[in-house]
Amino acid sequence: MSDIQTTLRTRAAELLSSGEVVEVIGWTAGRFDNQTTPAFITKAEDAESLVFNEYCVNTTSKFSLMERGLGKVAVCVRGCDSRGINRMITDNQLKREEVHLIGIPCTGMKDRKTGEELLKCRECSYRNPVVYDELIGESVTEPELNRFDAVEKLEAMDQAERAAFFDSVYERCIRCYACREVCPVCTCKSCFVDQLAAGWQGKRSNVAENKFYGLTRVFHVGDRCVECGECQRACPMDLPLMLLNRKMIKDLDLLFEAGEAGLDAEGTNPLGTYDVNDVEEFM
Amino acid sequence: MSRIGVFVCHCGSNIAGTVDISQVLEASKDLPNVVLAADNKYTCSDQGQQAIKDAIVEHGLDRIVIGCCSPRMHELTFRKMLTQTDLNPYMLEIANIREQCSWVHKDKEVGTPKAIGLMKMAVAKVDRDRPLFTMNIPVNKRALIIGGGIAGMQAALDIADAGYPVTIVETTPSLGGKMVMLDKTFPTMDCSACICTPKMADVGSHPNITMKTLSEVEKIGGYVGNFEVTIRERAKYIDYDKCTGCGLCETKCPVKVESEFDQGMGMRKAIYKPFAQAVPAKPTIDAAHCRYLNEGKCKVCSKVCPLGCINYEDQDKVSTEVYGAIIVAMGYKLINWADIYAEYGGGRYSDVITGLQFERLVNASGPTEGHIIRPSDGAEPKSVVIVKCVGSRDPEKGRSYCSRACCMYGAKHAHQYLDKVPGGKCYVFYMDVRTPGKGYDEFYMNTQHDGAQYLRGRVSKIYEQNGKLICKGEDTLSGQQVTVEADMVVLETAMVPADDADRIGAMLGITRDKDLWLSEAHPKLRPVETNSGGVYLAGTCQGPKDIPDTVAQASAAAMKVAILFSKDELESNAMIASSDPAICNGCGACVAICPYQAITLEEVEMRENSMKVIRPISKVNPGLCQGCGACTVACRPGAMDLRGFTDEQIMREVEALCQW
Repeated sequence: MSDIQTTLRTRAAELLSSGEVVEVIGWTAGRFDNQTTPAFITKAEDAESLVFNEYCVNTTSKFSLMERGLGKVAVCVRGCDSRGINRMITDNQLKREEVHLIGIPCTGMKDRKTGEELLKCRECSYRNPVVYDELIGESVTEPELNRFDAVEKLEAMDQAERAAFFDSVYERCIRCYACREVCPVCTCKSCFVDQLAAGWQGKRSNVAENKFYGLTRVFHVGDRCVECGECQRACPMDLPLMLLNRKMIKDLDLLFEAGEAGLDAEGTNPLGTYDVNDVEEFM
Repeated sequence: MSRIGVFVCHCGSNIAGTVDISQVLEASKDLPNVVLAADNKYTCSDQGQQAIKDAIVEHGLDRIVIGCCSPRMHELTFRKMLTQTDLNPYMLEIANIREQCSWVHKDKEVGTPKAIGLMKMAVAKVDRDRPLFTMNIPVNKRALIIGGGIAGMQAALDIADAGYPVTIVETTPSLGGKMVMLDKTFPTMDCSACICTPKMADVGSHPNITMKTLSEVEKIGGYVGNFEVTIRERAKYIDYDKCTGCGLCETKCPVKVESEFDQGMGMRKAIYKPFAQAVPAKPTIDAAHCRYLNEGKCKVCSKVCPLGCINYEDQDKVSTEVYGAIIVAMGYKLINWADIYAEYGGGRYSDVITGLQFERLVNASGPTEGHIIRPSDGAEPKSVVIVKCVGSRDPEKGRSYCSRACCMYGAKHAHQYLDKVPGGKCYVFYMDVRTPGKGYDEFYMNTQHDGAQYLRGRVSKIYEQNGKLICKGEDTLSGQQVTVEADMVVLETAMVPADDADRIGAMLGITRDKDLWLSEAHPKLRPVETNSGGVYLAGTCQGPKDIPDTVAQASAAAMKVAILFSKDELESNAMIASSDPAICNGCGACVAICPYQAITLEEVEMRENSMKVIRPISKVNPGLCQGCGACTVACRPGAMDLRGFTDEQIMREVEALCQW
């Protein structure tokens, strides 16, 4: 990893000094050794402050949207970040030529509090970036795993158990919307929950309103979710947010062969398109 | 504060019979912003309308709710009424307390509270009504017809005779479609070519008609009155301005190819006119088979042509023009029976032919000059089996629908065979005989009288034995298994949608039904319109039908175009979608879901995070939008809204219902 960090610093400095990019988005040291924070480097001499270690927990893709209009921006992307970038291109939020992608194969990040590998990384099946302009470090082998393990447990529950489970999840939700803020596919300028005049989302914080938010969010992002797991990591209440997203992904794949989002920039919205061959078992 | 007037209609006893009107009035008058609640025996009558108009003036109403029948019935009536007042015609909501309430309930105990609920919703919605306005769209009075068969030709002639320019686009080298391939037409037995070719000639010579053969519609944009259509005219390799159609080139061409027009029963050359009476009466070179174009040697046609018309360098011509209306008349194709009926030999036996192949066999200008002979050995078949419903009415292997014309042309084939082959035996396997039409049943009876043996049942197997085709089937009337030895078998195969129907339908935003035929706007009341404004259907592209029905529908579609062209400008729909650029994030979900291609993304410069960025924003074309609302539900941030059915109005309706 220190090799990657060294090369990253050199390349960032080169890219900035040559004027190829106006900014490099990566990570820098946090207050503690086991913590990093997103970094936005605009001067070649600051490239030395870039950090890449096992505590680079934030995904970078969403930050590239904040910098639109500055000029071409270099973004450090691992598998999760690169899929987010692809999806943002599909969703017309970003143009491919607006970003220079520094690909970094990833071996998983650690939870600062426990020192264990993050859940999102344990469930990750794309550790290598799926799109990049240059690659730093050696490709890593992709783990074999069943990312629907937890979904299958959920499906095995009976209705009462499932209802109780969701109640227990959403009674803890504080509707801070951190999940939305970090999500690379939540790119609306104005979220439905903020449109108070239309009144889609009630202001009260209770199980019913929280569930309404959670379920609507799944419908809004589930068909495009790139499974970066950032929502779950960002959640201050440790809610299992990827569970419902993955249930949606699994069902859409079963019904519409939707596949996995963000593997290229050509994706569609399975919930927003109609094909005469679509299953219509409810008709 | 709005001033709402509520009017509840008794509709005689239609509503008042199962809804207590006085209770509805009582509940309505206290709803927010309601200043008047009144009832009327028949609100749609002149007196009823006058009472509303008077009340608007007397009570200073600025919007009204009418509890009455379905808005499909009288919303337009009441909108027209409002144009005679100071109110905008869209400041009106209809609460459907008849079809959706009084008619479905038996007693007032249930009907009354439901009617009150519906009124509450309408009052909540009307409170958020905004005046809506229509726009005027100019009409380009030029029609495009896709398909040059009998439907397309009839429609083209009717529109051209009404005085409007028409372009007719046909993919094959000649007009005429399937009808000109037929020998005789039931039940009158007049020669198909004799009634079809004069129409072809009329189309070819009409001053208002531009004919584009060997051509395809590549792209369609725009909307009613203003369709932008790109047409590709494929290379013909012949200079049509010089060619006189003498036919010398055809006689000398050394390449022989199976004739599409003769359904593979005869041959044609690589430079060819599909049939003698083709329009245009000039040949084309089939580039896939021409020896010079493929091997670089030959040029015989060019050597013999007395006028030097051959141009091997000819290129496709692509042109884009604007049309005001489009008629789709692309016809049908026959189901590929060989792929699905292995039990009939799956195409292995050359003496098992389709009805259309039989038409070419029996046609005096066909490959056999009208002699009915077996394709395998040229012998005259002494017995023929005709199998109906091959692919039709067969949900397992083919299609579930009835192809409508086969019973009659099956009877015609039997009649023609018995007429031409004295002493021949003809067996017709059928499921039912359907003969609704003038003179149709009489024709069928005559065929039986001629000696055709009708056996009620399906053929289960056809196989070859000692030069005979053995047809095994069931005669369900006698309950016996029957085996018939035949020299030839004619399969009356199902009509299915043309190959290109999918692409053309998608470009025009025409929906397709479960069998993939192009859908009309309403099966009974709008049979030639589609759900896309300015796009009409004629003939079998909409579903199986015979020639009289096809011609009737084509003339009806032409009339619709003439009505459209009788105006210089069209009024657009006021209740259409619109996108709020402040909320739209340009994701394009609306573009993908719009069935009318009414939404496009346009790049706009905006300020975001104190920086200038270029972002695509969705834009609704008011001429194309039909107000279906699909985009409003696909739009995650709710930037897309439907005028007259805004998100806010629907939320207020739901709230009103939940408080009930």
